[in-house]
Amino acid sequence: MNLPEFLAESFFQRALLVALALGPICGFLGVFVTARRMAFFSDTISHAALTGVAAGFLAGFDEPTLPVLLYCSLVAVAMLWLRERTQLLNDTIMAVLLSTSVAGGVVLLSLQRNRWAELDKVLLGDILSVNWVDVGAAWAVAILVASALLRWLTPLVLLTTHEDLAHVGGIHVRRLNYGFVILLTIAVSLTIRALGILLVTSLIVLPPAIARSLSVNLRQHIVFSFLVGTVGATGGVLLSYPLNLPTGPTITLTLGFLFILSLATRHLRRGPAATHPSP
Amino acid sequence: MPPSLESPAIEIRDARIRLGDTDVLRGVTMSVPRGKMVALIGPNGSGKTTLLRCLLGLQKLDSGVVKLLGEPIGPRVLGRIGYVPQRLQLESSFTISVREFLSLRRRETRRWFWQSHRKTDALLLGTLGELGVESLLDRPLAGLSGGQLQRVLIAYSLLSEPELLLLDEPTAGVDTPGEQSFYELISGIHARMKITVVLVSHDLAMVFRQASWVYALNGVICCEGHPEQVLNADSLKAAYGIHVTPYHHHHGHGSAEAGQPIQFRRR
Repeated sequence: MNLPEFLAESFFQRALLVALALGPICGFLGVFVTARRMAFFSDTISHAALTGVAAGFLAGFDEPTLPVLLYCSLVAVAMLWLRERTQLLNDTIMAVLLSTSVAGGVVLLSLQRNRWAELDKVLLGDILSVNWVDVGAAWAVAILVASALLRWLTPLVLLTTHEDLAHVGGIHVRRLNYGFVILLTIAVSLTIRALGILLVTSLIVLPPAIARSLSVNLRQHIVFSFLVGTVGATGGVLLSYPLNLPTGPTITLTLGFLFILSLATRHLRRGPAATHPSP
Repeated sequence: MPPSLESPAIEIRDARIRLGDTDVLRGVTMSVPRGKMVALIGPNGSGKTTLLRCLLGLQKLDSGVVKLLGEPIGPRVLGRIGYVPQRLQLESSFTISVREFLSLRRRETRRWFWQSHRKTDALLLGTLGELGVESLLDRPLAGLSGGQLQRVLIAYSLLSEPELLLLDEPTAGVDTPGEQSFYELISGIHARMKITVVLVSHDLAMVFRQASWVYALNGVICCEGHPEQVLNADSLKAAYGIHVTPYHHHHGHGSAEAGQPIQFRRR
């Protein structure tokens, strides 16, 4: 069999390995992110990364992953803290942090003319330029997030169903909330390398949305979302190179295409009116 | 008999809570004996919800004592009570099924969400059957009607064999004919399982029919007694400081008899 030549290129293999690590865990996390209405939360974390990147460059980091992780965690914890301590609405808190982080990042980047070209990479991702350290980091994060999710799956499911029931069921609600947000932040920070700030949320929100119409219960939903995340991320990487398209946006478009397909399947299976079975 | 079995199901002494500028609870003292089916009533703003949150350990007291089954509120005693919340605000994108939800309550499936046990399935079906909703086992939780969801929530709390069942506004979201059989269901469970049942509600009529003792709350327990004593409009009026009339809904040609919905009305 004659494999396309680009598959033998090591930069391409690295990109594929990163996609293979991050796609499934974003899909897994996404089931809970969407059910807990945290899509905008995840978007805020990813936009905060702009300040993380710019501040990292300014502080002398060549590889901004660590400062991004730090700054994003700071913003995530700030969001939770403000939600607990102030009367402000969630949306307001997130919009404030999102816009100030974007503005701060751009201003900090503009101070470093030699880094201005990095803006594109940060906004739209650059998975084809990952090195072996990135691959290692992606897999480490994938294993960490997946095992934490599996370990605390039952409490997380109960928390997502009803916070007070979870509390009465002996779950430390606040701790679990923070834990989940930290996991999400770690996954988002790493995925920015692949999809860029603007598109990270697509890998978290689209897989569960696609899997939703294929599943009749939560187990299936999680498994399908995991698989769709894998297919979307690796499929996007595989398609982008021969088609000579930017890789991050191709991943998102692959998922977008699958989403339309899933809507059509649901439409055919259940008829146009029944979005979920009526009593 | 160990002393803990003789202690009241709920014991509250001089509970005080101030939220913002409002004294929500101004020295609540009450004691619910074991094995009874009682109601805690009060209009909106009477501190019902706060008191309930307090019993569940979700709200700290400024001062006073609250004990459940003779123990201070904590994870250990909360494991022995069943709480039935008013409603769930589930996203329709959350696909959890009734079977999966109920499994969260069983020790054998709790640790590992993916497992299913034939024995657990039989138990889940049995419990749902007692509540007349066994057909819901594989339905998504987010697609249930108010009445169906209510029963599934009760099944959930019964699965851990609680000694005390706390129901928050159990008829919110249930239509009136549904309400009747719902209370019959609860009193059936109460009689069969011999557990203490506390109904927390602002809706008087149904509660009065089923409860053997009623606590009326308005910042303090302003009166308590047998349903007929508390239903006496004068005592309610005096106690609540608001104008209370037995307010009858006339359904077509139906006459206004006891048992019709009675509501508080503020002047």
